[in-house]
Amino acid sequence: MDVLLRLVRTGADGAVEYQDTELSADVLSVGSAPDSAVQLLGAAVAAHHASIRPSAPQWLIACIGRCKVTVNGKRVASASLKVGDLVEIGGHRLRLIDPPAGFDLGIEIEPDPTVDPSAYERAFRTDLSMTWLNKRRVAWFLAVLVVVATLLIPYFSIPRQHARAPRLPLLPTDQIWNAGPLTPAHQLAAGQRCASCHQELFVHVRDAACRECHHTTADHVQVARLAQTRLGPAQPCADCHREHHAPATGLVVRDNGLCVDCHANSHVSFGPLKVQPVTGFSASTHPGFTVSLLKQGDALDESGRGQWMVRREPVAGAREQSNLKFSHAQHLDPEHVTRLNGGGALGCADCHTLSADGEHFIPITMQRSCAACHELTFDPKAPERQLPHGRPRDAILLIQDYFVRQAVDPTAAADGFQRRRLPGQQAEAPPCTEAPLVCATRRAQDEIEHQFTTTRGCAECHEVTDLHSADVLERFRITPVRLTRDYFAQVHFSHRMHAVQQDKTGDDACVSCHAVRKSNSSADLFIPDLPKCLECHTEGAVADRVTLQCTSCHSYHPTITIDRPRELVAR
Amino acid sequence: MIHVNILRFREGRYAWGALGLLALSIAIYATQGGRVRAGGGTWQGYVLGTIGALLIVWLTVLGVRKRRYSSTFGSVEGWTSAHVWLGLALLPVATLHCAGLFGWNVHTLAYALMCVVIVSGIVGLYGYLALPRQMAANSGGSSRAALFAELFSLDRQGRELARGCDAAVSEAVRSSIERTSIGGGAIRQMLATDRSLFMSGDSAQGAAQMRVVANSDQQAVINYVARRVPQGAKRAEVANLQALIVLLSRRQTVLRRIRRDIQLQGWLQLWLYVHVPLSVALIAALIVHILSTFMYW
Repeated sequence: MDVLLRLVRTGADGAVEYQDTELSADVLSVGSAPDSAVQLLGAAVAAHHASIRPSAPQWLIACIGRCKVTVNGKRVASASLKVGDLVEIGGHRLRLIDPPAGFDLGIEIEPDPTVDPSAYERAFRTDLSMTWLNKRRVAWFLAVLVVVATLLIPYFSIPRQHARAPRLPLLPTDQIWNAGPLTPAHQLAAGQRCASCHQELFVHVRDAACRECHHTTADHVQVARLAQTRLGPAQPCADCHREHHAPATGLVVRDNGLCVDCHANSHVSFGPLKVQPVTGFSASTHPGFTVSLLKQGDALDESGRGQWMVRREPVAGAREQSNLKFSHAQHLDPEHVTRLNGGGALGCADCHTLSADGEHFIPITMQRSCAACHELTFDPKAPERQLPHGRPRDAILLIQDYFVRQAVDPTAAADGFQRRRLPGQQAEAPPCTEAPLVCATRRAQDEIEHQFTTTRGCAECHEVTDLHSADVLERFRITPVRLTRDYFAQVHFSHRMHAVQQDKTGDDACVSCHAVRKSNSSADLFIPDLPKCLECHTEGAVADRVTLQCTSCHSYHPTITIDRPRELVAR
Repeated sequence: MIHVNILRFREGRYAWGALGLLALSIAIYATQGGRVRAGGGTWQGYVLGTIGALLIVWLTVLGVRKRRYSSTFGSVEGWTSAHVWLGLALLPVATLHCAGLFGWNVHTLAYALMCVVIVSGIVGLYGYLALPRQMAANSGGSSRAALFAELFSLDRQGRELARGCDAAVSEAVRSSIERTSIGGGAIRQMLATDRSLFMSGDSAQGAAQMRVVANSDQQAVINYVARRVPQGAKRAEVANLQALIVLLSRRQTVLRRIRRDIQLQGWLQLWLYVHVPLSVALIAALIVHILSTFMYW
């Protein structure tokens, strides 16, 4: 639209001056700012006070912000204008006049003569504080935004977690408080629910939260025993297992402090619990080894025998009590024993088979380890007949049955009864001329006594006690054999990793620690003591030595409960 | 020069203090290791975090103190020097506190806000070191108020001189004064944009038909008046017009200085519009950081 602005000014002499200005604009801005189409000065006029725009067939004046104008004597924020209307803004008078030809709008402007011309300074903004830039408002906005987005909304998301409700999209949750990534297993199990571990605000993660999943993990020391010491209450799980940004080694603590922080002063702080102090892994800082050995105690079980129990004894001077007669020296001497199929001397692995864990060995049993060579035949004429192992009563009955059948069944024996003969020690028994049943009973009796009393039958390997009972079934008692299966139940040791030692492999590697070649007694213990380990291992980084930490061999959490060693027997 | 003294206040006592604090923090940090990874959760981490949090709170208080000129508690220069040096020390202290472990969480948010605050502070420090010299060179040693006083005096003289000219020239000069643009919005202040206008009319007779035209750097109105000089009928009128040109040119120079002064001062202040609000946001994030740490202990 084309606008004619007519400035009407009354001079000091009373003469009226007119000054016309032509403008072409869609909207006519009114204010004190220099770029206003109608610039009106004075404190009562805002920089951008109002605007006038066409609103056919009339005109519309609309104030900006909280400004007001007076139209025909009424203070309004906006009003329709027609020709002849008078608008007053801060003492200035604007009147709509009939536009001359070629103009859409005519405005006669009569400035307030009392306004100081220098008032235009007020329109200047000469400092950033006068602009839209605002420290205080932005500061408040950001502070409130931070508190709402990172504290309040996450806080109110916690009850939804407890109710297992799905998280609301886009809204932050308490994940925003996550101090760092969890270890993968914990991330998988509880990564989306902080409350699975952080069950109560302002309270450390409790052990109960850990035990909801890890209920099979045993305490290092049972609470009742710990109470006897001066160590104070048990450490919470989270003291050692530090989640969020766990070290590269994982959640499990491996440094020696885990053990020696307490065990260095065990003689003082452990009270009545007798545990030798440990400060490292050397001859002076680590006690000698103690082995767990199965021993028959004085206490009797239901059958009147001594009860088996685990005894811990120092390696030095310890003796096995397996009740088995066995000579390693003899078995490893090719002059005495060779492999069945002519393969030369026996080796360790012929009897000892490493378990899948690489630490333990598959238990030695008669069936698995001995029977291939040591058949339980009793009559050379019947090599297929063998006595049942482990059941002496059945063996006696079998012998009796066998010889009676030989006597009464003519097809069973072709040329009479024979004693069992062994190479180099044979004397033909005198022929029996009595009734066949009597002869058979006597032969059976002879064979039973041969088996249980000479070193050529059961007694070759077993301890047999002759009770001299009239009843042959009750006469002999074989002392049960118990082989210790795990000498260090709480300690890790990988036989597999020690199968090659420096220049030794195979049996040489075995016997470098287990000196069995000259042992003739099964009571000999072949478990090496600390000095043997120290030949290759040290606690610190030393050239030509393999460094060991406490956790290389020991676990903090016991795999079995120390207070219940009988479980060993059951195994 | 006050801005040099800020850094070297009392032989740089706060620089040495900040260095000592830094050395202490590094020593504390170095004792970490073993079974627990270095970070905010170790006792060393808590100590470093406490130092950092106290520094942040103290630096904020320093910021407030610096603006309280009536206070007699220490000198402004001393407080400012401490603010600068301890603020610089805060960055390594906080980095040692978190041991460089970051994530998408409120803890890293607090760290990031702190970094922006410190970097904006460094920008501000650079401004304080570099800009006052330029401002002094621009204003010739006079203050902004003196420049404005000179401008208003020239405006008054201009109006008086314009009254003696014909209506069109009079209106052109009067409007060029009234429609002079100084400063403006933040961007116009920073860029020293000039949107001055004046009313230009062709007729020299009585009430003129006039139009509002651009008058950037006042050059348009000077040219307008200069074109009128050859048309002057009387000697007095010509002399009047020439006097007007001299006056408008002086006015042009003063306006340039004022605009440049506003621009330089804008650059000197702009960093504060980042530094101050983000400091407050940092305090909020710091509170949430500490609170959330102990909520999920």
